[in-house]
Amino acid sequence: MIGYICKYTPIEIFEAMGEEVRRIEPEVTSFNQADTLMHPNICSFAKGVLESALAEHYDGIVLTTCCDSIRRVYDVLREKLPGCFLYMLDAPRITKDAGVHIYERRIRDMIKAYEAYSGKTFDEEKLAEVIRKKEAETAISFRRDRPNIGILGARANPNIRRILEEHGANVAFDLTCTGLGRKLHWQENEPFTGYVRGLLSQFPCMRMETAANRDRMIEQYAGSVDGIIYHTIQFCDNYSYEYAWLKDILKKPQLLLETDNTKQSYGQILTRIEAFLESLQSGRAKAAGSRAAGNYVGKGSAAGGAVGSYAGKDGAVNGVAGKRMGKGSAAGGVTGSYVGKGNAADGAAGNRMGKGSAAGAAGKRMGKGSAAGGVAGNYAGKGNAAGGWDAAERTGQGGTAMYVLGIDSGSTSTNAVIMDQDRQIRAFEVVRTGAKSGESAERILKAVLEKAGLAREDLARVVSTGYGRVSIAFADENVTEISCHGKGAHYFNPKIRTILDIGGQDSKAIRLDERGEVVDFVMNDKCAAGTGRFLEAIARTLEIDISEVGPEALKSTEAIEITSMCTVFAESEVISLIANNKEKCDIANGICNAIANKAFSLMRRVGLEPDFMMTGGVAKNPGVVRAVESRIGGKLYICPEPEIVGAVGAALYALNTLGL
Amino acid sequence: MLIADKYIQYVKEKTLKEPEKSWDKILLGFRMNRLRTRFLPHRGLAKGYQRLEDMMMAHVADSLSHPDRYVWGNIFAPCEIIGSFGLNTLSIEALACYLSGYHLEDFFIDFSQSIGIAPTLCSYHKAFVGAVESGVVPHPSYAVTTSLSCDGNLNTFRFLQKKNYVPFTLLDIPYKDDEASLDYLAGQLEELVTEMENHLGLKFNMEHLQNALRVENETRRELKRFYELLQTHYYPGEIIHQLYLMMGTHLLMGTQKFLDLVRFMNHDIEGMPEFTGKRILWVHLLPFYQESLKEYFDESEKYQVMATDIVMDYTGDLDAEHPFRALAQKLIENVFNGSYDHKAQTLGRLADRLHPDAVIHFCHWGCKQVSGGSVLLKEEMQRRNIPMLILDGDGIDKRNSHDGQIKTRLEAFLEMMG
Repeated sequence: MIGYICKYTPIEIFEAMGEEVRRIEPEVTSFNQADTLMHPNICSFAKGVLESALAEHYDGIVLTTCCDSIRRVYDVLREKLPGCFLYMLDAPRITKDAGVHIYERRIRDMIKAYEAYSGKTFDEEKLAEVIRKKEAETAISFRRDRPNIGILGARANPNIRRILEEHGANVAFDLTCTGLGRKLHWQENEPFTGYVRGLLSQFPCMRMETAANRDRMIEQYAGSVDGIIYHTIQFCDNYSYEYAWLKDILKKPQLLLETDNTKQSYGQILTRIEAFLESLQSGRAKAAGSRAAGNYVGKGSAAGGAVGSYAGKDGAVNGVAGKRMGKGSAAGGVTGSYVGKGNAADGAAGNRMGKGSAAGAAGKRMGKGSAAGGVAGNYAGKGNAAGGWDAAERTGQGGTAMYVLGIDSGSTSTNAVIMDQDRQIRAFEVVRTGAKSGESAERILKAVLEKAGLAREDLARVVSTGYGRVSIAFADENVTEISCHGKGAHYFNPKIRTILDIGGQDSKAIRLDERGEVVDFVMNDKCAAGTGRFLEAIARTLEIDISEVGPEALKSTEAIEITSMCTVFAESEVISLIANNKEKCDIANGICNAIANKAFSLMRRVGLEPDFMMTGGVAKNPGVVRAVESRIGGKLYICPEPEIVGAVGAALYALNTLGL
Repeated sequence: MLIADKYIQYVKEKTLKEPEKSWDKILLGFRMNRLRTRFLPHRGLAKGYQRLEDMMMAHVADSLSHPDRYVWGNIFAPCEIIGSFGLNTLSIEALACYLSGYHLEDFFIDFSQSIGIAPTLCSYHKAFVGAVESGVVPHPSYAVTTSLSCDGNLNTFRFLQKKNYVPFTLLDIPYKDDEASLDYLAGQLEELVTEMENHLGLKFNMEHLQNALRVENETRRELKRFYELLQTHYYPGEIIHQLYLMMGTHLLMGTQKFLDLVRFMNHDIEGMPEFTGKRILWVHLLPFYQESLKEYFDESEKYQVMATDIVMDYTGDLDAEHPFRALAQKLIENVFNGSYDHKAQTLGRLADRLHPDAVIHFCHWGCKQVSGGSVLLKEEMQRRNIPMLILDGDGIDKRNSHDGQIKTRLEAFLEMMG
């Protein structure tokens, strides 16, 4: 078995010599060997290759000079696998004749080396046979019935494709180096040279000199999909340049997804992809909603955008909203409530009022809501509206009020919110997440039900979110924390466009549109710098409670800069500062500034559009809040209980699913 | 606060506020600093290092003052060919260092990261991309880079070409050291000449190139002598002077003025007292700002950096009759090219010649090709009974380099050496 990694490897040569070849696809649980034999800051794919090469048995491994990290993998493997046919094939970056010429020479050298190693003989005729048998794979495939996603960037691991397919998305193309079929040529007049030319004329990766046709092809392909996942590998920096370029060029929603080839990263990949698909679905629905709204304009009403917005919330496509509206059913009332938030559709409400009694009630609510404006207005109008709505509901549900539960299972805290059908918070609870997120969830369920004076059966639907969302057995559905924070933030303050959420183990910035839909988001990496855990570690070092870090920071008089980005480094930096007799308050302030710097860079990546909101446990730290406000040059809106925003969003999702 | 510090602070504040309007102030600072190095030299420093510092400052300030007189390069771009067009080479690594004199590196690095450049990329590249993209640094009309010694080169120059329309030539340095590689690279070097002639409308001077190679050979001989003299003589300098020497040997190699300078250094060092402290062979970049390293190495009679691989990256002679093949040979045989074994063997031979008491290998943040082989080099040095310390840090971004940690490691290592 010959292992290889790079698409420029002439694997057909080995196949022609009767060898089996396999592309090395590392998925490892640790980088123990790689971190010891190389360095922790090497590309994690390369580290994964090293781990796999040492753990699995290959008779031969052919590497190419594709990047700095792989060059070092070769150096280490050469020492560690002395009996193996380990070959470093020097692949040129130039694809012109000079490149073809030298690559042909290099490949012929490799053949000689393998012949000497294996005692086998290479035969060009056999190579021709292998090539004739191989058919080029289709590069692009679209499906009308599902979101079409394109994958770009660094070598994608199979999980990305699998998650997309499992979530009902179609992978329309994968232009990473593992996604494309091989480009093979066999010309009778110069067979071997033609083969080499074909290898080098594959869709160029970022190590190749000519990237002009790469840009052209990407722009052409990207034009026809709903969204693009731009994949990068931790500590492989080459593709970030292209992302920095493409993110402004391609007019499609894009998700920057960093992976590290470990099994443990699956959860992170899943959250990001799910959130991305959720935001795409709302986008698709928005487009469909606008189409549905067109019907209404035809009827003489004026509710286009608002109806579209409703359709978006419900995920309805292709005029579902319109149909429902036409029937004048109870759902019309719900639409009214959304219209109320949008302040834009009296005409639609009026239209609906003429169609049925329940919808009429909603229409009344609408009138009041939009007159008062904003969320408060919506609630101001609730008295009437709720009456009308409740009446309609009772008809359908046997006269009982309806409650839903949103539960956000984070790394540090688990938060739960019970909301009624009028989007009123009935009770909420925040508890520490223990070692098992499922157990904390049971605990919080009991506590929050008790607070609300309700029983388990009173909950019509439970939606979970957060890192532990899949471990909550009693949840009916789970939604990512990104979408939930978007919804929750919009609920508290519809003017919010940028959310900064700093939780226990991750931090994220989310950009919302005027309807509270997520349009972009970025999350920090695995590193804990700038998160609640970071703050906790530092508080421990300063020997104060985490709740005291903020108030301490506000007392600071001397500016101290904490320069280290890493939690471990920062902790030891703080120890040095303590050793130098620096004041606690100044150190605390330095830490708050360090977190703010990291947060600011996240927020800048989504666009820094005001108004700003901060959520998550760290929003309770006045030192960090002050530091972030100073960086963004504006105020942060912070709701009374910033830890429950995700859970509120989850509860809102539950209401939406119920058609409320 | 010194006037220079005040000016630095002033420029930093202005740049953060209006990056696009700060260039003249930055340039003025470079020119003023040039006057400072010439007329107010640092008294404790060896004269040769004073002149070296002045020459490098002049190279940067003079080049930047005449945008039509320089091209961007990386540190391995062939300055001999570029010089034969009458142009200076300004490497992006050196420029990033000079800009960090205004303490702006964090702003530039954050700027790069905010537009999507990976935080794990080499900080020199991030700082340079940020400096250009934030609108601070203007650009020349051409650039030359090599694939040596890292992947960042092609990508940084390609990015700047796309965003700022600075055309560039990539020289693909083959991995293997053989005749086929020589042909391949020599051909590219000849093409570079044609491309530059076409783009810049300037005439290439072959005689100038051949003479530059002869001067370069002589300079290299003098440099080897200098490093031999450093074994026995105390020559007070700072760690930054090894970086200046790297600039000289890569951006001014083949010029008479640099040869004269090295000759002067040799003349100067001969009159210096004997060095009885520990001699360090330094591998890779030097974090010139790091307090603990400065404390132990700057003008120190106890510890002296006696050679670095970034200066001694090629030690052969160049055949001036075949200049393109000679330059190709220089790049292919470079200590940073090929397998790490090639590097370890080359540094092993250097150690055999110079007899250092210890080796310090600095792993610069984001530099995969160096960090990835550090353990292999340590094994090679262990075979020679030379202790080696691996230090992690960042050559330019202070936030990635924690002085407390470096201090502990360094002190323990120095204690270990006795």
